Amino acid sequence: MSISRRNFIKRAAYSGIAATAVLSGVNKTAAAFNTTDEYATIIDVTKCDGCHGLDTPRCVSACRKKNQDKFPQPEKPIMDYWPQPKHEDWSDKQNLINRLTPYNWTYVQHLQVEHEGNIHQVHVPRRCLHCDNPPCSSLCPFGVNEKMPEGPVVINPDGCFGGAKCRDVCPWQIPQRQAGIGLYQEVVPKYAGGGVMYKCDLCYDLVQKGQEPACISACPNNAISFGPKKDMQSYAKNWVKDKGGYLYGDLENGGTSTYYLSLIPFNAIHDAIIEQEVDGKPGKPGMPVGVANILDKPAGMARSMLIAPFAGLLAAGLSVYKTMTGVDNDENSEA
Amino acid sequence: MMRIPRHSVQVRFTHWITALSIFALFFTGFGQMPIYKRYFIDQVPGLEWSSNYLVTLNVHYYAAMVLIFISFFYAGYLLLSKKTDILPRKGDFKESLIIFASLLGLAKEPENDKYLAEQRMAFAVTGLSIAGLIITGLIKILKNLPDAHIPLQISFWATQVHNILTVILLISIVVHLLAFLIKDNRPLFPSMFNGKISLDYARHRHSLWITRIEKDK
Repeated sequence: MSISRRNFIKRAAYSGIAATAVLSGVNKTAAAFNTTDEYATIIDVTKCDGCHGLDTPRCVSACRKKNQDKFPQPEKPIMDYWPQPKHEDWSDKQNLINRLTPYNWTYVQHLQVEHEGNIHQVHVPRRCLHCDNPPCSSLCPFGVNEKMPEGPVVINPDGCFGGAKCRDVCPWQIPQRQAGIGLYQEVVPKYAGGGVMYKCDLCYDLVQKGQEPACISACPNNAISFGPKKDMQSYAKNWVKDKGGYLYGDLENGGTSTYYLSLIPFNAIHDAIIEQEVDGKPGKPGMPVGVANILDKPAGMARSMLIAPFAGLLAAGLSVYKTMTGVDNDENSEA
Repeated sequence: MMRIPRHSVQVRFTHWITALSIFALFFTGFGQMPIYKRYFIDQVPGLEWSSNYLVTLNVHYYAAMVLIFISFFYAGYLLLSKKTDILPRKGDFKESLIIFASLLGLAKEPENDKYLAEQRMAFAVTGLSIAGLIITGLIKILKNLPDAHIPLQISFWATQVHNILTVILLISIVVHLLAFLIKDNRPLFPSMFNGKISLDYARHRHSLWITRIEKDK
Protein backbone atom coordinates (compact mmCIF):
# COMPACT_ATOMS: atom_id res chain seq x y z
CA MET A 1 0.00 0.00 0.00
CA SER A 2 1.18 3.46 -0.64
CA ILE A 3 1.05 6.58 1.37
CA SER A 4 -1.75 8.83 0.25
CA ARG A 5 0.43 11.76 -0.49
CA ARG A 6 -1.62 14.12 -2.56
CA ASN A 7 -4.49 14.18 -0.11
CA PHE A 8 -2.01 14.68 2.62
CA ILE A 9 -0.66 17.86 1.12
CA LYS A 10 -3.96 19.25 -0.06
CA ARG A 11 -5.55 18.87 3.32
CA ALA A 12 -2.75 20.79 4.92
CA ALA A 13 -2.86 23.50 2.29
CA TYR A 14 -6.59 23.96 2.47
CA SER A 15 -6.91 23.91 6.19
CA GLY A 16 -3.77 25.90 6.83
CA ILE A 17 -3.72 24.41 10.29
CA ALA A 18 -2.40 21.23 11.69
CA ALA A 19 -4.36 18.41 10.17
CA THR A 20 -4.50 14.82 11.12
CA ALA A 21 -4.13 12.37 8.32
CA VAL A 22 -3.93 8.66 8.04
CA LEU A 23 -1.07 7.01 6.27
CA SER A 24 -2.89 4.14 4.68
CA GLY A 25 -1.00 0.91 5.03
CA VAL A 26 1.19 2.20 7.78
CA ASN A 27 -1.39 1.46 10.46
CA LYS A 28 -0.57 4.59 12.31
CA THR A 29 -1.94 8.05 12.49
CA ALA A 30 0.30 10.61 10.92
CA ALA A 31 1.26 13.47 13.14
CA ALA A 32 -0.37 16.77 12.40
CA PHE A 33 1.50 19.00 10.02
CA ASN A 34 1.21 22.37 8.42
CA THR A 35 2.97 24.22 5.66
CA THR A 36 5.87 25.24 7.88
CA ASP A 37 6.85 21.63 8.58
CA GLU A 38 10.06 20.09 7.32
CA TYR A 39 9.35 17.61 4.56
CA ALA A 40 11.01 14.47 3.30
CA THR A 41 10.68 11.99 0.48
CA ILE A 42 10.56 8.23 0.47
CA ILE A 43 11.78 6.49 -2.68
CA ASP A 44 10.70 2.87 -2.55
CA VAL A 45 13.06 1.12 -4.94
CA THR A 46 10.95 -2.06 -4.77
CA LYS A 47 8.09 -0.20 -6.49
CA CYS A 48 10.05 1.60 -9.19
CA ASP A 49 10.09 -0.26 -12.51
CA GLY A 50 11.91 2.53 -14.35
CA CYS A 51 8.69 3.15 -16.32
CA HIS A 52 9.37 0.08 -18.38
CA GLY A 53 8.35 0.60 -22.00
CA LEU A 54 8.54 4.39 -21.89
CA ASP A 55 11.39 6.33 -23.51
CA THR A 56 11.58 8.62 -20.49
CA PRO A 57 10.51 7.66 -16.98
CA ARG A 58 7.55 9.76 -15.86
CA CYS A 59 9.37 11.35 -12.90
CA VAL A 60 12.10 12.51 -15.26
CA SER A 61 9.73 13.98 -17.85
CA ALA A 62 7.65 15.65 -15.13
CA CYS A 63 10.81 17.21 -13.68
CA ARG A 64 11.99 18.45 -17.06
CA LYS A 65 8.60 19.93 -17.88
CA LYS A 66 8.25 21.60 -14.49
CA ASN A 67 11.72 23.14 -14.56
CA GLN A 68 12.19 23.92 -18.26
CA ASP A 69 11.94 27.67 -17.69
CA LYS A 70 14.82 27.48 -15.22
CA PHE A 71 17.16 25.63 -17.58
CA PRO A 72 20.23 27.66 -18.63
CA GLN A 73 20.32 29.67 -21.84
CA PRO A 74 24.08 30.26 -22.20
CA GLU A 75 25.56 32.93 -24.41
CA LYS A 76 27.78 31.48 -27.12
CA PRO A 77 30.62 31.12 -27.87
CA ILE A 78 31.55 29.97 -24.37
CA MET A 79 35.05 30.70 -23.06
CA ASP A 80 37.32 28.07 -21.53
CA TYR A 81 38.13 28.23 -17.83
CA TRP A 82 41.55 29.82 -18.41
CA PRO A 83 44.26 28.48 -18.00
CA GLN A 84 42.40 25.15 -18.28
CA PRO A 85 41.62 24.23 -21.88
CA LYS A 86 38.01 23.26 -21.10
CA HIS A 87 34.57 24.35 -19.97
CA GLU A 88 31.38 22.52 -19.09
CA ASP A 89 28.68 22.91 -21.68
CA TRP A 90 25.61 20.69 -21.74
CA SER A 91 23.51 22.98 -23.91
CA ASP A 92 23.94 20.76 -26.97
CA LYS A 93 23.00 17.69 -24.93
CA GLN A 94 19.78 18.93 -23.40
CA ASN A 95 17.98 15.72 -24.32
CA LEU A 96 20.22 13.48 -22.23
CA ILE A 97 18.14 11.64 -19.66
CA ASN A 98 20.67 9.03 -18.52
CA ARG A 99 22.58 11.30 -16.13
CA LEU A 100 22.27 14.47 -14.07
CA THR A 101 22.96 17.56 -16.16
CA PRO A 102 22.01 21.23 -15.86
CA TYR A 103 19.05 20.24 -18.05
CA ASN A 104 18.16 17.00 -16.27
CA TRP A 105 17.79 17.21 -12.52
CA THR A 106 16.62 13.67 -11.90
CA TYR A 107 17.22 10.40 -13.68
CA VAL A 108 16.67 6.69 -13.14
CA GLN A 109 19.57 4.29 -12.81
CA HIS A 110 18.68 0.96 -14.43
CA LEU A 111 20.85 -1.64 -12.74
CA GLN A 112 21.45 -5.34 -12.65
CA VAL A 113 22.32 -6.05 -9.06
CA GLU A 114 23.76 -9.31 -7.88
CA HIS A 115 22.57 -10.37 -4.44
CA GLU A 116 22.78 -13.81 -2.84
CA GLY A 117 23.58 -15.41 -6.14
CA ASN A 118 20.65 -13.87 -8.04
CA ILE A 119 20.58 -11.00 -10.49
CA HIS A 120 17.90 -8.41 -9.75
CA GLN A 121 16.67 -5.63 -12.00
CA VAL A 122 16.76 -2.51 -9.86
CA HIS A 123 15.68 0.98 -10.87
CA VAL A 124 16.82 3.86 -8.68
CA PRO A 125 15.52 7.41 -9.22
CA ARG A 126 18.38 9.76 -8.43
CA ARG A 127 18.52 13.44 -7.57
CA CYS A 128 19.63 15.71 -4.71
CA LEU A 129 18.86 14.07 -1.35
CA HIS A 130 18.43 17.47 0.39
CA CYS A 131 20.74 16.84 3.34
CA ASP A 132 20.07 17.92 6.91
CA ASN A 133 23.46 19.64 7.18
CA PRO A 134 24.35 20.16 3.53
CA PRO A 135 28.05 20.92 2.96
CA CYS A 136 27.13 22.32 -0.48
CA SER A 137 25.18 25.04 1.27
CA SER A 138 27.47 25.63 4.26
CA LEU A 139 30.60 25.82 2.14
CA CYS A 140 29.26 27.90 -0.75
CA PRO A 141 31.79 30.77 -0.92
CA PHE A 142 29.06 33.20 -1.93
CA GLY A 143 26.37 32.09 0.51
CA VAL A 144 23.84 31.56 -2.27
CA ASN A 145 23.03 27.90 -1.67
CA GLU A 146 20.40 27.69 1.02
CA LYS A 147 18.90 24.99 3.19
CA MET A 148 15.26 26.04 3.45
CA PRO A 149 13.23 25.52 6.63
CA GLU A 150 10.95 23.11 4.74
CA GLY A 151 13.96 20.92 3.88
CA PRO A 152 14.88 21.65 0.26
CA VAL A 153 18.40 22.85 -0.52
CA VAL A 154 18.10 25.58 -3.15
CA ILE A 155 20.80 27.25 -5.28
CA ASN A 156 20.15 30.86 -6.22
CA PRO A 157 21.20 30.99 -9.90
CA ASP A 158 21.54 34.79 -9.78
CA GLY A 159 24.30 34.69 -7.14
CA CYS A 160 26.05 31.49 -8.23
CA PHE A 161 29.56 31.92 -9.64
CA GLY A 162 29.85 28.35 -10.88
CA GLY A 163 32.99 27.33 -9.01
CA ALA A 164 31.44 23.88 -8.57
CA LYS A 165 32.61 23.66 -4.97
CA CYS A 166 29.12 22.44 -4.03
CA ARG A 167 29.63 19.51 -6.37
CA ASP A 168 33.09 18.77 -4.97
CA VAL A 169 31.90 18.62 -1.36
CA CYS A 170 28.72 16.64 -2.11
CA PRO A 171 29.19 12.91 -1.49
CA TRP A 172 27.15 12.29 -4.63
CA GLN A 173 28.45 15.19 -6.75
CA ILE A 174 24.85 16.15 -7.50
CA PRO A 175 24.96 19.81 -8.69
CA GLN A 176 25.88 20.14 -12.35
CA ARG A 177 27.51 23.10 -14.05
CA GLN A 178 26.66 25.02 -17.18
CA ALA A 179 29.21 27.52 -18.46
CA GLY A 180 28.44 30.71 -20.35
CA ILE A 181 25.75 31.94 -18.00
CA GLY A 182 25.46 33.77 -14.70
CA LEU A 183 27.18 36.36 -12.57
CA TYR A 184 30.76 35.45 -13.53
CA GLN A 185 30.08 36.66 -17.06
CA GLU A 186 29.73 40.18 -15.61
CA VAL A 187 33.06 40.14 -13.73
CA VAL A 188 36.20 38.59 -15.24
CA PRO A 189 34.77 35.59 -17.09
CA LYS A 190 38.08 34.46 -18.48
CA TYR A 191 39.83 34.19 -15.12
CA ALA A 192 37.23 33.46 -12.44
CA GLY A 193 33.97 31.55 -12.17
CA GLY A 194 32.57 28.85 -14.35
CA GLY A 195 28.85 29.29 -14.86
CA VAL A 196 25.88 28.32 -12.73
CA MET A 197 25.22 25.13 -10.79
CA TYR A 198 21.90 23.35 -11.27
CA LYS A 199 20.16 20.64 -9.31
CA CYS A 200 16.79 19.55 -7.96
CA ASP A 201 15.21 22.13 -5.63
CA LEU A 202 12.44 19.70 -4.67
CA CYS A 203 10.06 22.00 -6.56
CA TYR A 204 10.42 24.49 -3.75
CA ASP A 205 7.77 26.80 -5.18
CA LEU A 206 5.24 23.97 -5.01
CA VAL A 207 6.33 22.91 -1.51
CA GLN A 208 5.83 26.48 -0.31
CA LYS A 209 2.28 26.31 -1.62
CA GLY A 210 1.70 23.07 0.24
CA GLN A 211 1.90 21.00 -2.94
CA GLU A 212 4.14 18.06 -3.65
CA PRO A 213 7.09 18.03 -6.09
CA ALA A 214 6.35 17.22 -9.74
CA CYS A 215 8.21 13.89 -9.80
CA ILE A 216 6.10 12.56 -6.94
CA SER A 217 2.76 13.33 -8.54
CA ALA A 218 3.99 11.82 -11.81
CA CYS A 219 5.02 8.41 -10.50
CA PRO A 220 2.52 5.80 -11.72
CA ASN A 221 3.66 3.23 -9.16
CA ASN A 222 3.57 5.40 -6.06
CA ALA A 223 7.24 4.65 -5.62
CA ILE A 224 7.94 8.19 -4.42
CA SER A 225 6.12 9.61 -1.41
CA PHE A 226 6.26 13.02 0.19
CA GLY A 227 5.22 14.27 3.60
CA PRO A 228 6.33 15.61 6.97
CA LYS A 229 9.85 14.48 7.65
CA LYS A 230 9.24 12.86 11.00
CA ASP A 231 6.44 10.74 9.54
CA MET A 232 8.47 9.75 6.50
CA GLN A 233 11.39 8.82 8.70
CA SER A 234 9.37 6.66 11.06
CA TYR A 235 7.55 5.05 8.13
CA ALA A 236 10.89 4.24 6.51
CA LYS A 237 12.30 2.76 9.69
CA ASN A 238 9.19 0.68 10.32
CA TRP A 239 9.23 -0.54 6.72
CA VAL A 240 12.81 -1.71 7.10
CA LYS A 241 12.00 -3.46 10.36
CA ASP A 242 8.83 -5.13 9.02
CA LYS A 243 10.29 -6.25 5.69
CA GLY A 244 13.86 -6.92 6.70
CA GLY A 245 14.91 -4.33 4.12
CA TYR A 246 17.49 -1.60 3.86
CA LEU A 247 17.37 2.16 4.28
CA TYR A 248 19.60 4.72 2.56
CA GLY A 249 19.68 8.45 3.31
CA ASP A 250 18.90 8.44 7.03
CA LEU A 251 22.51 8.33 8.19
CA GLU A 252 24.41 9.19 5.02
CA ASN A 253 26.13 12.59 5.02
CA GLY A 254 24.79 13.11 8.55
CA GLY A 255 21.16 12.64 7.52
CA THR A 256 19.08 13.70 4.52
CA SER A 257 15.47 14.39 3.60
CA THR A 258 15.35 11.43 1.22
CA TYR A 259 14.83 7.85 2.37
CA TYR A 260 15.51 5.08 -0.12
CA LEU A 261 13.93 1.73 0.71
CA SER A 262 15.19 -1.52 -0.77
CA LEU A 263 15.11 -5.26 -0.15
CA ILE A 264 18.60 -5.51 -1.64
CA PRO A 265 21.50 -4.07 0.37
CA PHE A 266 22.66 -0.67 -0.83
CA ASN A 267 26.24 -1.90 -0.82
CA ALA A 268 25.30 -4.22 -3.69
CA ILE A 269 23.43 -1.40 -5.45
CA HIS A 270 26.43 0.90 -5.03
CA ASP A 271 28.74 -1.74 -6.50
CA ALA A 272 26.41 -2.12 -9.48
CA ILE A 273 26.33 1.66 -10.01
CA ILE A 274 30.12 1.82 -9.96
CA GLU A 275 30.35 -1.04 -12.42
CA GLN A 276 27.51 -0.19 -14.78
CA GLU A 277 26.92 3.55 -14.51
CA VAL A 278 29.91 5.59 -13.47
CA ASP A 279 31.87 6.93 -16.44
CA GLY A 280 34.38 9.17 -14.71
CA LYS A 281 32.31 12.33 -15.10
CA PRO A 282 29.95 13.82 -12.53
CA GLY A 283 26.24 13.24 -12.89
CA LYS A 284 26.13 9.50 -12.24
CA PRO A 285 26.12 9.27 -8.45
CA GLY A 286 26.92 6.16 -6.48
CA MET A 287 25.29 5.16 -3.19
CA PRO A 288 28.20 4.82 -0.74
CA VAL A 289 26.69 3.44 2.47
CA GLY A 290 27.32 5.49 5.61
CA VAL A 291 29.25 8.18 3.72
CA ALA A 292 30.45 10.84 6.17
CA ASN A 293 29.78 14.56 6.08
CA ILE A 294 32.87 16.58 5.14
CA LEU A 295 31.99 19.04 7.94
CA ASP A 296 32.08 16.48 10.77
CA LYS A 297 35.76 16.97 11.55
CA PRO A 298 35.80 20.78 11.42
CA ALA A 299 32.73 20.74 13.70
CA GLY A 300 34.69 18.89 16.38
CA MET A 301 37.52 21.37 16.04
CA ALA A 302 35.19 24.37 16.20
CA ARG A 303 34.15 23.43 19.72
CA SER A 304 37.73 23.33 20.95
CA MET A 305 38.21 26.79 19.45
CA LEU A 306 36.27 28.28 22.37
CA ILE A 307 39.37 27.86 24.49
CA ALA A 308 41.48 30.26 22.35
CA PRO A 309 40.23 33.60 23.77
CA PHE A 310 40.62 32.43 27.35
CA ALA A 311 44.09 31.06 26.69
CA GLY A 312 45.03 34.39 25.06
CA LEU A 313 43.85 36.45 28.02
CA LEU A 314 45.53 34.13 30.50
CA ALA A 315 48.83 34.31 28.63
CA ALA A 316 48.56 38.12 28.50
CA GLY A 317 47.92 38.27 32.24
CA LEU A 318 50.90 36.06 32.99
CA SER A 319 53.29 37.90 30.69
CA VAL A 320 52.31 41.37 31.94
CA TYR A 321 52.59 40.13 35.54
CA LYS A 322 56.11 38.87 34.81
CA THR A 323 57.07 42.19 33.21
CA MET A 324 55.65 44.23 36.09
CA THR A 325 57.45 42.13 38.66
CA GLY A 326 60.68 42.68 36.75
CA VAL A 327 61.22 39.12 35.60
CA ASP A 328 60.92 39.97 31.94
CA ASN A 329 61.23 43.71 31.52
CA ASP A 330 62.80 44.54 28.22
CA GLU A 331 61.06 47.72 27.20
CA ASN A 332 62.05 51.23 28.12
CA SER A 333 64.54 49.83 30.59
CA GLU A 334 67.63 51.09 28.84
CA ALA A 335 68.40 54.03 26.66
CA MET B 1 75.42 53.20 18.16
CA MET B 2 73.08 53.75 21.08
CA ARG B 3 69.84 51.88 20.76
CA ILE B 4 66.51 52.21 22.49
CA PRO B 5 63.96 49.44 23.13
CA ARG B 6 60.85 50.00 21.07
CA HIS B 7 58.95 46.73 20.83
CA SER B 8 58.50 44.51 23.88
CA VAL B 9 58.81 40.78 23.50
CA GLN B 10 55.01 40.54 23.81
CA VAL B 11 54.52 42.98 20.93
CA ARG B 12 57.01 41.15 18.72
CA PHE B 13 55.40 37.81 19.62
CA THR B 14 51.98 39.24 18.75
CA HIS B 15 53.24 40.72 15.49
CA TRP B 16 54.83 37.57 14.16
CA ILE B 17 52.17 35.14 15.33
CA THR B 18 49.55 37.43 13.82
CA ALA B 19 51.50 37.64 10.57
CA LEU B 20 51.93 33.87 10.33
CA SER B 21 48.32 33.07 11.18
CA ILE B 22 47.01 35.70 8.77
CA PHE B 23 49.24 34.36 6.01
CA ALA B 24 47.83 30.87 6.63
CA LEU B 25 44.30 32.28 6.79
CA PHE B 26 44.73 34.15 3.50
CA PHE B 27 46.13 31.10 1.74
CA THR B 28 43.50 28.69 3.02
CA GLY B 29 40.72 31.29 2.86
CA PHE B 30 41.35 31.92 -0.82
CA GLY B 31 41.47 28.14 -1.11
CA GLN B 32 37.79 28.07 -0.18
CA MET B 33 37.26 29.25 -3.72
CA PRO B 34 38.16 26.77 -6.43
CA ILE B 35 41.26 28.59 -7.62
CA TYR B 36 44.19 26.36 -6.66
CA LYS B 37 43.08 23.52 -8.88
CA ARG B 38 42.16 25.78 -11.77
CA TYR B 39 45.49 27.61 -11.61
CA PHE B 40 47.59 24.45 -11.08
CA ILE B 41 48.79 25.56 -7.62
CA ASP B 42 48.08 22.01 -6.44
CA GLN B 43 50.61 20.79 -9.01
CA VAL B 44 53.40 22.60 -7.14
CA PRO B 45 55.38 20.03 -5.11
CA GLY B 46 54.35 20.31 -1.46
CA LEU B 47 51.09 22.10 -2.25
CA GLU B 48 49.11 19.10 -3.49
CA TRP B 49 46.74 19.58 -0.52
CA SER B 50 45.84 23.13 -1.54
CA SER B 51 42.86 22.11 -3.66
CA ASN B 52 41.42 19.80 -0.99
CA TYR B 53 38.64 21.79 0.68
CA LEU B 54 38.61 19.60 3.79
CA VAL B 55 42.33 20.17 4.38
CA THR B 56 42.23 23.91 3.69
CA LEU B 57 39.14 24.31 5.87
CA ASN B 58 40.82 22.48 8.75
CA VAL B 59 44.00 24.55 8.41
CA HIS B 60 41.83 27.69 8.23
CA TYR B 61 40.19 26.70 11.52
CA TYR B 62 43.55 25.98 13.20
CA ALA B 63 45.00 29.28 12.00
CA ALA B 64 41.83 31.07 13.14
CA MET B 65 42.31 29.52 16.56
CA VAL B 66 45.84 30.96 16.66
CA LEU B 67 44.65 34.40 15.47
CA ILE B 68 41.88 34.47 18.12
CA PHE B 69 44.40 33.45 20.76
CA ILE B 70 46.89 36.14 19.79
CA SER B 71 44.20 38.82 19.40
CA PHE B 72 42.95 38.21 22.93
CA PHE B 73 46.53 37.99 24.16
CA TYR B 74 47.29 41.40 22.66
CA ALA B 75 44.02 42.96 23.85
CA GLY B 76 44.80 41.69 27.34
CA TYR B 77 48.36 42.99 27.06
CA LEU B 78 47.17 46.48 26.00
CA LEU B 79 44.66 46.62 28.83
CA LEU B 80 46.96 45.35 31.57
CA SER B 81 50.26 46.96 30.55
CA LYS B 82 48.61 50.27 29.59
CA LYS B 83 51.20 50.63 26.80
CA THR B 84 48.66 52.14 24.49
CA ASP B 85 50.90 54.35 22.29
CA ILE B 86 49.63 52.53 19.20
CA LEU B 87 45.95 53.38 19.74
CA PRO B 88 44.59 56.20 17.56
CA ARG B 89 44.10 59.65 19.04
CA LYS B 90 41.98 62.65 18.25
CA GLY B 91 43.37 64.55 15.27
CA ASP B 92 45.23 61.54 13.86
CA PHE B 93 43.41 61.64 10.56
CA LYS B 94 44.39 65.26 9.91
CA GLU B 95 47.94 64.63 11.07
CA SER B 96 48.20 61.60 8.77
CA LEU B 97 47.34 63.86 5.85
CA ILE B 98 50.09 66.26 6.89
CA ILE B 99 52.60 63.39 7.09
CA PHE B 100 51.51 62.25 3.66
CA ALA B 101 51.90 65.77 2.32
CA SER B 102 55.37 65.94 3.87
CA LEU B 103 56.37 62.84 1.92
CA LEU B 104 55.55 64.75 -1.24
CA GLY B 105 57.52 67.72 0.02
CA LEU B 106 54.40 69.81 0.45
CA ALA B 107 54.58 70.17 4.22
CA LYS B 108 56.92 69.77 7.15
CA GLU B 109 56.56 66.44 8.99
CA PRO B 110 55.10 67.07 12.44
CA GLU B 111 56.93 65.96 15.58
CA ASN B 112 56.02 62.36 16.28
CA ASP B 113 55.37 60.33 19.38
CA LYS B 114 56.36 56.65 19.61
CA TYR B 115 54.19 55.96 16.58
CA LEU B 116 53.26 58.21 13.69
CA ALA B 117 49.63 59.30 13.43
CA GLU B 118 49.34 57.26 10.23
CA GLN B 119 50.70 54.20 12.02
CA ARG B 120 48.05 54.59 14.71
CA MET B 121 45.40 54.97 12.00
CA ALA B 122 46.71 51.91 10.15
CA PHE B 123 46.66 49.96 13.40
CA ALA B 124 42.99 50.86 13.90
CA VAL B 125 42.05 49.79 10.36
CA THR B 126 43.96 46.52 10.68
CA GLY B 127 42.72 45.82 14.20
CA LEU B 128 39.09 46.53 13.37
CA SER B 129 39.33 44.43 10.20
CA ILE B 130 40.72 41.51 12.20
CA ALA B 131 38.02 41.94 14.85
CA GLY B 132 35.35 41.96 12.15
CA LEU B 133 36.89 38.94 10.45
CA ILE B 134 36.91 37.03 13.74
CA ILE B 135 33.27 37.87 14.46
CA THR B 136 32.02 37.04 10.96
CA GLY B 137 34.29 33.99 10.88
CA LEU B 138 32.75 32.70 14.10
CA ILE B 139 29.28 33.13 12.59
CA LYS B 140 30.45 31.13 9.57
CA ILE B 141 31.84 28.41 11.86
CA LEU B 142 28.53 28.28 13.73
CA LYS B 143 26.72 27.94 10.42
CA ASN B 144 28.86 24.93 9.54
CA LEU B 145 28.00 23.07 12.74
CA PRO B 146 25.50 20.27 12.37
CA ASP B 147 22.01 21.25 13.51
CA ALA B 148 22.95 24.92 13.71
CA HIS B 149 20.22 27.07 12.30
CA ILE B 150 21.71 30.46 11.65
CA PRO B 151 19.12 32.62 9.83
CA LEU B 152 19.92 32.73 6.12
CA GLN B 153 20.24 36.52 6.06
CA ILE B 154 22.77 36.53 8.88
CA SER B 155 24.97 33.86 7.32
CA PHE B 156 24.72 35.53 3.90
CA TRP B 157 25.84 38.90 5.29
CA ALA B 158 28.50 37.34 7.49
CA THR B 159 29.92 35.77 4.33
CA GLN B 160 29.86 39.03 2.36
CA VAL B 161 31.39 41.07 5.22
CA HIS B 162 34.05 38.38 5.80
CA ASN B 163 35.01 38.57 2.12
CA ILE B 164 35.06 42.38 2.03
CA LEU B 165 37.12 42.64 5.24
CA THR B 166 39.56 40.12 3.80
CA VAL B 167 40.17 42.48 0.89
CA ILE B 168 40.53 45.48 3.25
CA LEU B 169 42.99 43.57 5.44
CA LEU B 170 44.95 42.44 2.40
CA ILE B 171 45.21 46.05 1.17
CA SER B 172 46.26 47.27 4.63
CA ILE B 173 49.01 44.63 4.78
CA VAL B 174 50.24 45.54 1.30
CA VAL B 175 50.35 49.21 2.33
CA HIS B 176 52.15 48.17 5.56
CA LEU B 177 54.83 46.42 3.51
CA LEU B 178 55.04 49.19 0.92
CA ALA B 179 55.83 51.61 3.75
CA PHE B 180 59.36 50.23 3.65
CA LEU B 181 59.78 51.71 0.19
CA ILE B 182 60.04 55.03 2.02
CA LYS B 183 63.64 55.35 3.13
CA ASP B 184 62.83 57.22 6.32
CA ASN B 185 60.82 54.24 7.62
CA ARG B 186 63.51 51.60 7.11
CA PRO B 187 65.43 52.05 10.39
CA LEU B 188 62.27 50.79 12.15
CA PHE B 189 62.59 47.41 10.48
CA PRO B 190 65.10 45.65 12.81
CA SER B 191 62.97 46.51 15.81
CA MET B 192 60.41 43.85 14.87
CA PHE B 193 63.21 41.30 15.29
CA ASN B 194 65.42 42.58 18.12
CA GLY B 195 63.02 45.11 19.63
CA LYS B 196 65.38 48.09 19.38
CA ILE B 197 65.96 51.11 17.17
CA SER B 198 68.77 53.64 16.96
CA LEU B 199 68.50 56.40 19.54
CA ASP B 200 69.62 59.00 17.01
CA TYR B 201 66.89 57.94 14.64
CA ALA B 202 64.34 57.97 17.45
CA ARG B 203 65.41 61.48 18.46
CA HIS B 204 65.06 62.65 14.88
CA ARG B 205 61.80 60.92 13.96
CA HIS B 206 60.07 60.34 17.32
CA SER B 207 61.14 63.37 19.28
CA LEU B 208 57.99 63.55 21.42
CA TRP B 209 58.55 59.96 22.54
CA ILE B 210 62.18 60.49 23.50
CA THR B 211 61.38 63.74 25.29
CA ARG B 212 58.70 61.90 27.26
CA ILE B 213 61.04 59.04 28.22
CA GLU B 214 63.80 61.43 29.26
CA LYS B 215 61.36 63.51 31.29
CA ASP B 216 60.10 60.37 33.08
CA LYS B 217 63.62 59.39 34.11
